[in-house]
Amino acid sequence: MLQGALAGLAAGGLYAVLGVCLTLMSRLVRVVNFAQAATGMFGTYVAVWLVSDAGLPIWPAVAVGVVIGGSISALIGIIIGTWLPEADTGSRSAVTVAVLLFLISLSFILFGNRPQPFRPVLSGPAFQVSGVVISQVAIFTVVVAVLVALSAHVVLTKTSVGIRLRALSERPTTAELVGIPARTLSVAVWATTGAVGTLVVAIVAPTQSNDATALSMLVVPAAAAALLGGFRRLDLAVVGGLVLGVLQGAAAQLSQLSVARHFLPFLFIVGLLVWSQRKEVWDAAR
Amino acid sequence: MNGAVNTLELTGVTVARGAGPVIRDVSLTVPAGTVTALVGPNGAGKTSLLEALSGVIPVTSGSVTVGGTPITKLSRVARARLGLVHIEQGRAIFPGLTVVENLRLTAREPADIEGALEMFPELDKRRDSPAELLSGGEQQMVVLARAFVSRPAFLLIDEMSLGLAPVVFMRLLPMVRRFAEQGVGILLVEQFTHLALGLAREALVVSSGRVTYQGQAKELLNAPELLHAAYLGGADAPRQ
Repeated sequence: MLQGALAGLAAGGLYAVLGVCLTLMSRLVRVVNFAQAATGMFGTYVAVWLVSDAGLPIWPAVAVGVVIGGSISALIGIIIGTWLPEADTGSRSAVTVAVLLFLISLSFILFGNRPQPFRPVLSGPAFQVSGVVISQVAIFTVVVAVLVALSAHVVLTKTSVGIRLRALSERPTTAELVGIPARTLSVAVWATTGAVGTLVVAIVAPTQSNDATALSMLVVPAAAAALLGGFRRLDLAVVGGLVLGVLQGAAAQLSQLSVARHFLPFLFIVGLLVWSQRKEVWDAAR
Repeated sequence: MNGAVNTLELTGVTVARGAGPVIRDVSLTVPAGTVTALVGPNGAGKTSLLEALSGVIPVTSGSVTVGGTPITKLSRVARARLGLVHIEQGRAIFPGLTVVENLRLTAREPADIEGALEMFPELDKRRDSPAELLSGGEQQMVVLARAFVSRPAFLLIDEMSLGLAPVVFMRLLPMVRRFAEQGVGILLVEQFTHLALGLAREALVVSSGRVTYQGQAKELLNAPELLHAAYLGGADAPRQ
């Protein structure tokens, strides 16, 4: 069971990175990006195609995929920034649902509807402790999750760009009135989160169910992770992702729970929502 | 302040929101180093005019220039970079940012921040506090200090007194005069009409979306019947 739990760390790290990206998007550009994982899926599929059909080596192919993921994400940011700059979070987020469906459909058209023949970018054990194997992928995703969260925190609190981004997230119109280039900064956030999301999906995809829909729906456990931090706290998003991954890994080891592990993110979300509303009076909450 | 830009000029400016114009045919010149008061009853279109100047909403017709440069097609950011700074209604702080972070957003030089904090000693004591924890008056000081460190050429100030105790507002008013003394042209929208007119050289009264008085602020201040008539839309033609 311990081996299973630790095997879940790879997925947990992926949830954590995507959860951090969702948190950053929510905080900085007022969007719950339902297309976060789908963007990564599409960039990764392009990378797979470049390896299998164009004969490119794996790392350059992944680099191209990351650029494509970042570019798709930036394009969504430009569209939202152009046509919905003052809209509320719900309306802006609804656009990303359309993009999610579009990317899944486009991947079916371009790459077919079967799982892709992924060649692992990282494979094999990193080290072994008392007979329990920790994989390279698990180490990579956990480290990336922590690094992304830490560097985002440092940038947001210590740099001029970070202060501008926080100002932009709090009062977009006022930020523009004081000379902050809102659109450029927003698109940069979109591009960065898209690129980071694609990179981790490309690394972890060979260890997951890797059809387009399954990869795109990674946004659900990622949202559960982000929800633990209230879509505000990066550290709790990392913790949420890792805990969820470990729980799913452990559940997979028990035959009675192996099917139930797919529902864990939903249970996690429902539990967190109920917990967060525990002090609300019915009328006040509505 | 920015000496290269010497007038803010509006010619036949009309601004519409939704169905129709909320303020029409405003022509006005705000020279550097002067205060121009824009007063009138609620709903007259004063805030809409300021928002159109800074680019929050579009100018429907007419032209606006800053130092001879047409700005109606420019973005909000480009207008801010030309030195046109809009102080919005309702204490437009960035609440999650500290006092110093609010000032860092617009400061040209770090020394400007220290200068602003010397001007507002209340803020100096709370320089690392999130702006949301400050009192209303302190928050308005943050907004004024943020404008100060940006070295503006023109300031559009919208109802600075809104939600503030009169004693607090009276503490802030001399800062507006100080801005003007340093060469900043100011277009001041204010509900305390007499205070605004006392500070201004020129004045416009707008009522129901049209200019009902335009001339010397002192003249309006000394003739309450003229002010009342202009507020009620009674003056037939704008005066220059």
